[in-house]
Amino acid sequence: MNATLKINGTEKTFDQGLPSTLTELLAQLEINAATVVAEINGDIVERKNFAQTELKDQMAIELIRFVGGG
Amino acid sequence: MMPQIFHELKSAVVGIAGLGGLGSNVAVSLTRLKVGKLILADFDAVEESNLNRQNYFPDQIGQHKVDASLTNLRRINPEADLEGHKVRLTPEKILTLFDGCDVIAECFDRADQKQMLVETVLSKTKGVVVVSVSGLAGYGRSNEIVTRRISDRLILVGDTVSGAGPGVPLTAPRVGVAAYHQANAIAEVLIGNAGISHDKNRE
Repeated sequence: MNATLKINGTEKTFDQGLPSTLTELLAQLEINAATVVAEINGDIVERKNFAQTELKDQMAIELIRFVGGG
Repeated sequence: MMPQIFHELKSAVVGIAGLGGLGSNVAVSLTRLKVGKLILADFDAVEESNLNRQNYFPDQIGQHKVDASLTNLRRINPEADLEGHKVRLTPEKILTLFDGCDVIAECFDRADQKQMLVETVLSKTKGVVVVSVSGLAGYGRSNEIVTRRISDRLILVGDTVSGAGPGVPLTAPRVGVAAYHQANAIAEVLIGNAGISHDKNRE
């Protein structure tokens, strides 16, 4: 079943169904959870809750990624 | 400076988390701007390898960065209201030391520390704006470093991709570009609080 997430403003369609949780989405995108701040529909999701955060069709997800240096 | 802007800056409190290439330079800029109060935090001491981009001097090697910054900032403005904390910041300490800040500048080096600070400020405080930096290593490509308003409470500076690593050094000019983007974003937030119209030409 097709489902769509809006990730950082861009629609992404998942032909094989959505990743079930935020942790699973980050794994698919090969993003290290320790270096990302996530917001869903404008609300921040704490990293400790990524694994329990279920994804649903049409969610707007902002992934703010950090690289080192300062 | 317009009296209203001066008043707004004078009553502002800004936290600076980390006093390396970003924080030491952001602190200089905000001191010159005469921001009311700065709260500085860092656990580290000045090393020789810091002098290629951080606002310290050879005779300060070995001093705590907090102490060295306080000395340097007071040379700029002896009247500056400055508070220094020699501490490794944790979520709990961020909330206590930076309590009362209007804006917190994320000036860490490590990506996971940046994540920790931004997540803590956004999830555990109300109304505090965080100005963070991601992607500033290397040299050149000045115009790839941008300031983006992610949300009401998060402003992100940087090119988002240039992490420091082997062959990608941190250099004074490019770290400086990012640090001054960060200071300028903070100025805009503080002056914007006065209800003075400012450039909203951001994505």
